[in-house]
Parts: sequence; structure tokens; C-alpha cells
Amino acid sequence: MATSDVSKGAAELGMGQSPARRNLGLIGQYGSLGLLSLLVLGPIALTVIQALSPPFTYVNEGKPLHPVAVSWQDRTWFTGGPISLIVRTLIVVALLAWLQKVASGGGWKDGALRAPSRLVAIIGGTVVLALAMNPLFQSFFKADGNTLMIYVGAVLAVAATQVWGFLSPTRSPITSVVMALFTGFGLISFCVLTMGPTVWTLAWTRYDLGPAMGRSFVMAILITVLQVATAIMAAYAFVFLRFPFKRILFALFMATLLLPIEVTLVGNVATIRQLEWTDTMQALVLPFGAAALGTFLIRQGFRGLPSEIQDATRLDGYGHWAFLTKFAVPLTRPVIAAFTVISALAAWNQYLWPRSVITQNSFNTLQIQLRLASASEVANANQAIAAALVAAVPVVLLLIAFQRQIIRGLTAGAVK
Amino acid sequence: MSVTDAMAVPNDDAPVLEVPKRSRRKGKYNAKEVGLAFAFLVPSLAVFVTFFYVPFARLVSWGTYESQRGGASYKQVGIDQYTDVLGGNEFRQGLWHSLQFVLYTVPAGLILGTLLAVAAHRRLKGIKVFQAIFSSTLASSVAVSSVIFFFLFNPAVGFFQVSWQSDPSWAMFAAALPAIWQNLGLAFVIVLAGLQAVPDEVMEAARLDGYGAWRRLTRITLPLISPVLMFLFVILVIYGFQAFAQIDIITKGGPGGATETLVFKIFKQTQDYGKGAVLSVGLFCVTLVVTFFQFAILDRRVHYGDE
Repeated sequence: MATSDVSKGAAELGMGQSPARRNLGLIGQYGSLGLLSLLVLGPIALTVIQALSPPFTYVNEGKPLHPVAVSWQDRTWFTGGPISLIVRTLIVVALLAWLQKVASGGGWKDGALRAPSRLVAIIGGTVVLALAMNPLFQSFFKADGNTLMIYVGAVLAVAATQVWGFLSPTRSPITSVVMALFTGFGLISFCVLTMGPTVWTLAWTRYDLGPAMGRSFVMAILITVLQVATAIMAAYAFVFLRFPFKRILFALFMATLLLPIEVTLVGNVATIRQLEWTDTMQALVLPFGAAALGTFLIRQGFRGLPSEIQDATRLDGYGHWAFLTKFAVPLTRPVIAAFTVISALAAWNQYLWPRSVITQNSFNTLQIQLRLASASEVANANQAIAAALVAAVPVVLLLIAFQRQIIRGLTAGAVK
Repeated sequence: MSVTDAMAVPNDDAPVLEVPKRSRRKGKYNAKEVGLAFAFLVPSLAVFVTFFYVPFARLVSWGTYESQRGGASYKQVGIDQYTDVLGGNEFRQGLWHSLQFVLYTVPAGLILGTLLAVAAHRRLKGIKVFQAIFSSTLASSVAVSSVIFFFLFNPAVGFFQVSWQSDPSWAMFAAALPAIWQNLGLAFVIVLAGLQAVPDEVMEAARLDGYGAWRRLTRITLPLISPVLMFLFVILVIYGFQAFAQIDIITKGGPGGATETLVFKIFKQTQDYGKGAVLSVGLFCVTLVVTFFQFAILDRRVHYGDE
């Protein structure tokens, strides 16, 4: 998230008010923020519950309600084959390492994670968690009423491994314990939800999410690479090169913003049919091979470069290509990165165009595959819902990794 | 200087690089530079011509052809098809449905986005967690959010077993809900960026002048971020007019065509090129009018600071 340096905060927190009133104000602020979070996350939470609810077919056949299309009986941390075992272990290690990094307040490189207390937290936490999952899954299967107890026990065991790592001179021991408890509860719940029920993997195989996701990846990457490359070249020409009809050409570029795919859909579909390109990757990619928005944003970035740089490099004998690759692009990297990420996001989320030029389900992109899933039998609705949640995971990761760039890209036109 | 340059005898051997940048403005173009420029522009131009301008030009001309026997052949009918379709019920209906979608999503996006941003724009321990939560709907695509809400409000398996999706007067709202939810993240991020650009001194001064929290918000914050709100308004309206996946997944245009927006009608007409072309040109005109209208009206009311 963009940093918020709000100096009015001190005033709003109520300096000069009585401590009791200040606390009341704090509770009110956190309470309202919590309510708003509920508004945003509520639909997701309910959807997770729906995905984990027993499908209608189970209810009709009188099968037990607690398993979500899964036999929890043989489920342990170690079932599911070596690849999924390694992946899920790495996820837990990464989460724990990240939490310890945040708690230490340092970066990845300054060796904070090599302190013994943090190694205990990361490695010990993973081992304890892996061992604790077995009795937990068993109790889910037996439904013997001990589940809550075992759940609490598992949370406490994981929390115990974390406390030492969270202790620090700047933090009270009680805060560290609370943080450790939250970590334990969060991790155990996360593992139960994501690694217990097989509804995720069932949805994955039933709706062919793997190949669909692969096609979406290829499409998004090709579109992004093309858009960024063409935008950099065009922006360079508009800023640094002299040629006739520059204004007209630039207007021609910008006018394409008035011709979104919704307007040109019928004509473009006709073109694709004439070329016999239906159900091909080039049909998905080429119409989005260039973007006026990218040209505009990168042009703004290039124009912000001091003209002395260009003059100096010219005198040093750099040609246009060298200037472009060695100076112009590296110096405008924030702008280019921001455009790259929002371009990738938009490409990944494409819906109307793939829907119009794909005729065979075996060529569906991920988003179109989701429509297919939602349109299929209601009896296994929980798997279709699970498919939607699984489909969101890559973008969640993208958002976490490139939050700053995405926000800069999205707000590029809003704030100067 | 530039005048003398322009009149100077062209001399290819002249060391172009040593001429200061500004004074070259009226000079002769350098053939190599022009060649490079067009090489750089050709990839983009190829895409824009093939997939933007040519299809649009074809659409404009196809609008004058009427399909016979379900698209088996086409008959030239001139401007008649334009007047028939654009003046007809179907176009008006589609436009009204698109407008309904916009009316559901845009005010909600502006109000909720501002609410979230104002709530999360403060110095508080852990505020970044809330900011991350509020922007989290950015991670969902239109298809994901549509599937989620399709099943949340599903009459058979929904968490809320309501029959909105099949009720003509509620169907559009059911289709707009995922858009409202999905726009939260975008609206929040944009308004927050606007709030963060407001200088702290301004708020401090207002506070010292005895302005309460509500008056600070309505008299100072909102006017100051009005350009940002206008930006958000514009993109939300454009998104609203372009909405398709929500309708395709949740109501499929139904019940009885009650949620067939303009874009949905265009999508349905990719077999009948003539009528589809007229509807497309109609959508183009609508977006054009909306865009100009927005800028003309809002430009005057919006506080642009000292820009």
C-alpha cells in the first residue's frame, strides 16, 4: 500500500483528551474499519464456506456432511505425492519466514532470519505444524467432538515455536505472545482450509483449470510483452525523433481509446473468421498487440527526462538505440513497470473478446472456463465456486508482489 | 534563429548533433531519423489499423446492408437500417439497460470508495492491513466476481436463496452487485491516492480554525479531491457501459431480455453483421457523447487547485 504520512493522525487520535476518551475513540476507529473490512471480505468468506459445504449430491445420497468430497481419514501432511508435499511445505516455510521478517523489521538480506530464535520459529514451526495436521484431520473424520480441543492444541503448539522469534526489546512480551497466537491460529486455519479438503484439486481437474490457466498465462504474457514493446518504441518516436505528421499520428494513436473492443467487436470477429483464426492464440493476442494508454504513459515518462541527458549522450556518440536501451528505458523504469503490471492484469482478465473468438471449450481461457463451470450442474456447485477461488490465486500473488506498481498504474491518471 | 535555419541551404554533411535542440524545430527532417521513427511506429500502427480503424470503417459501411434469411445474403438498404435500428425499441431498450447498470454501479462505487478511503486515511497502528484488505478486490476478475455472486445469490444453492436473477425488476441489480463489489478496490485505491496528495497543512489549518471532522470532509477534503473523484466517475461510467461478463454469467440477458445491455446485444449480433454494425456504431456514439458530456459538465465544477 502506498505509505500514508498523515500528520493529522496525532490530532485525531485525541491528544489532550482523557485516556478513557482516547481509548473509546480508538475502539470506534478499529470497529468501523473492521466493519468495512467485513463489507469487502464478506463475500469471499461466504464463498469459501460455500465451496467447503457438502455438495447436494452428498446430501441426497445420505453421505456424511462433514467431508467436503474428501476422505479425511487417510489425510495427513504427507499424503498427496512428493510434489504437493514439497509445495505445501515451501508455502508454510515462506509464510513463516515472511512473518519473522516483518516482525524483525529488517529486510531479507540483513541476516535477521539467521538468528537462532528465528530459525527455530521457521523450521520448528513447520515441523510442529506438519505433525499437528495428522490428528486434526483425523478428528475431522471421526467427528468425535474432540476437534475443537485438538484445534486449540495445534494452534498453541505452533504458537509456542514462534514466541521466541517475536520477542524483541521494542515489544512487550505480551504483544509477542499475542502475535504468536495469531500466527498459530492463522497458519493452522490456512492449512486446514487449503490443504485439507480436496475440493480445490477436484475443481482443478474437473474443470481443466490447469490447461486453461496455462493458456491464460501465455495470452497475458504475449499481450503484455507486445504492448510494452510497441508502446516504448512508439513513445520514443513521439518524444525523441523528428518526423512529419507527428501530431496527426499521435492523434490517431489516442483516438483508438474511443474504439474499445466492445465497439469494434462485430468487425473484429468478422476479421478473425475471415482469417480462419478462431480458436487460435494469435486471435486472442494480436488485436491487443498495441495500446494507446501505454504509449501515452511512457511518453509522459520520456518527456520527464531532462533534455541534458539526451544532449550529453548524443555528444558522447550514442546512437538512438543505445540511448533508448541504456538511458531512456532504465530511467523511466517505474512508469514502464506500472504499465506492464496493469497491462498484464487487464490481459489476464479479458472476457468479452476470448468469449467471442473461442468456439471450442478445449481452447477456453481461464475466465471463460469459469463461465462454463458456473453454467454446469448445480449439484456440484461447490466445485464451481472452488474453481472461481482457485482462479483468483495467481492474481492475488501478482497483487501482493507488485502492489506498488499496480497502484501507481491504476492511479496514473488520477493524481499528478 | 529558426527562420535562418529554415532558409539555409540543405546540407547533408552538417553536423546535426551540434545544433541546439530547440533551434532545429523548423529544419529539414533527417531521413534516417524519419525512417527510424516510422519503423518504431509501424508495429503499433499495424495493430491500430487492422484491429481498430479498418473494423470500425467496415462496421460503418456494413450498417447500410440488411441481412436476408439469417445472414445468408445481404441487401443494400442505405441509411434506412440506421434509422430503423437506432430509432427502434431494441436499441432504446439496450441503452436503458446499460444506463440502469451504470446507475447501480457508479454512485455506489463513488460513495463506497470515498467511505473506505476516508476511513483508511489516518495514522493508526496496523492501518496498512486495512488498506490491503480494502484494495483486495483488485485481485478478482469480472469472471471470478460474477461466479462468486452468481452462487451467493442463487435461488437453488445460494447462501442467500433469493430469486433476483430471474426476477425482471431485480435481475439487473443482481448483475450489478459483483461489479459494485469488484469496483471497491479500484475506487478505494484511487480516492486514497487523492487523499494522500492533499497537503497536511491544509487540514491542520482547517482544524485550527475550528472546523469539525464533518465540515473538514465536506468543505475541504471533498472539494480538494474532486478531480480524483471525477476521474473515478469517468472510468466507472465507462466500465459500466462496457459491462458484459456479469450479465453473461449471472442473468444471460434474461429474464425475457430484461438485462440485455447494449454490449450484450452487440455480442448476440456477431452473426448478423448488418444489425450488429448499426448497434456498434450506436454504442460508439453513446460513449462519445457520454465522454464529451462528462468532461464538459464536470470540468467547470471541479476544483483543480492551482494547476
